[in-house]
Amino acid sequence: MLPDTPDNLKQIIGIYKAYAVPMDFYWRDLLYIAEQVFLNPLPAFKYFISKDYLDRDNAYSGDNAALRIWRGGGDAHPELREFMAKGESDRKLPKLLHHLWHDRVNMEFAEACMQAMLWHEDINPKFNAYLDSDEYRANSDRAIRAYFKGNPVMLGLYKLFPEMFHEQVKRLSYYSNLGLFWEVMAPVFFEMSDLYDEGKLTSVPAAMDFLVNGIFAIAGRPIYHHAYIKGECYEIIPKSQGFTWLYEAALPYVEAVFYRTAPFRGTKSYNAQARQVPPEQKDFHYGILYADVFPVGSAGIPPTLLMQDMLHFLPDYLIEEYSQHGRGEDDSLIQLGVTFQRSMYNVTSAVIQALRCALLYPLDDPNPEHLKANRAFFEQNLDRFKRPEARLQDIQDQSYR
Amino acid sequence: MPNIVEIAVNTEGFSTLVAAVTAAGLVEALSGDGPFTVFAPNDDAFAKLPPGTVQTLVDNPPQLARILKYHVASGAWTKSDLAEKAQLSSLESSPIPIRVAPDFEVKNATVLAADIEASNGVIHVIDTVILMG
Repeated sequence: MLPDTPDNLKQIIGIYKAYAVPMDFYWRDLLYIAEQVFLNPLPAFKYFISKDYLDRDNAYSGDNAALRIWRGGGDAHPELREFMAKGESDRKLPKLLHHLWHDRVNMEFAEACMQAMLWHEDINPKFNAYLDSDEYRANSDRAIRAYFKGNPVMLGLYKLFPEMFHEQVKRLSYYSNLGLFWEVMAPVFFEMSDLYDEGKLTSVPAAMDFLVNGIFAIAGRPIYHHAYIKGECYEIIPKSQGFTWLYEAALPYVEAVFYRTAPFRGTKSYNAQARQVPPEQKDFHYGILYADVFPVGSAGIPPTLLMQDMLHFLPDYLIEEYSQHGRGEDDSLIQLGVTFQRSMYNVTSAVIQALRCALLYPLDDPNPEHLKANRAFFEQNLDRFKRPEARLQDIQDQSYR
Repeated sequence: MPNIVEIAVNTEGFSTLVAAVTAAGLVEALSGDGPFTVFAPNDDAFAKLPPGTVQTLVDNPPQLARILKYHVASGAWTKSDLAEKAQLSSLESSPIPIRVAPDFEVKNATVLAADIEASNGVIHVIDTVILMG
């Protein structure tokens, strides 16, 4: 969907790199919250990730990876560690001051994505059916009782409002789901950036192909939720359930965050009675592919907080690019937001091509019936971009910044 | 008469499938009474998958088992039995779309050899690994 121009390639690869650094924090902290913070009733320090989780080896990159597919390192990226130490203020202050001054990685973006996946429950039917099963409830019950052992107040509240506690555990299962999803995407984006710097990634379609191969390579990764309570592992969603990265994480993520999300709060009012908001969630189109990329301050889409995060890790060539266009440094936040939107069209193209590879036929298939089926599939996907708010038309033009 | 697993083991061109079924721990289940209908991808079908796909699955037996179960349906369904059916329900629970005419096709795979009889069901050899969705 994104035209193959050198400028587009430079923009999307640069932004993948800037996205990969905070993403390296997001996945680690999402898993830290799902596995360690768990049901802490006052999780004021949930963004204060532990050293273990910063050092934790990525399952698919680094020397200690269980299965090394990508070339990057295993523990937290050096640029991330440097930013966490000094922040935007470039001063080594206590962690709490950086946090209160909001001079940190904006985990709220990651949580907004998780929330979108949790809320659009029709897009992940097998996973959600398990979350509603007796087995999951029993696992969740065991973990809740273990976590609050010796805490009569919380155990009393659990007795009074069990559904509320189980709902919280379901949310945490989605923290784990998204964390395991991004654990894979961060090294993919780092490697794309490295390949571009080395002159080995030279076109937009090549970038898309790299993503398609990555999606397939990792499609069967297990999606699970383990919680560690007093040193013991509680398997809330065991790996043996057979949930996979592609079906239970990647595809629901794309649908929830790229296409749907929710109307953003802030600068615009929506009148639901006047049908300005669709009555069915499946008709929501407020995702990044449709967003008016404006820094409204939202955690979700438009992703102001993510844009702020990416601003800290832009490669030099993008800083230079943004200074030469628009209002230079003054609107680089919007420029990088639009670049991010372009780059997500590239990811969406990769997802559509991967689905075509998996479920339909090769592009050079000699059977006309097969080509007809391919065409129907592409048309069905493209129909979603015929809406007036879709940005597909805009990204065709290099002046959309 | 040999069962489904014995036929796969003793037929050339199914070594990847046999390795996958073994890694997923499905040998015993597919050697049971059944009856089953198995859409068996040959080695060329697995080779068409992008690099790394099979390795990640083999490292994760429950996930591999789920993909393999999508290739199996309850009951012994021959090509002529399937003429009346648009789909079969797989052991994975997702439906498998079937077309018998003009060509015998299972989802996006073409059947290369149909109606191979086993003691516990029927095997149809396919040219592509099929995936749910």
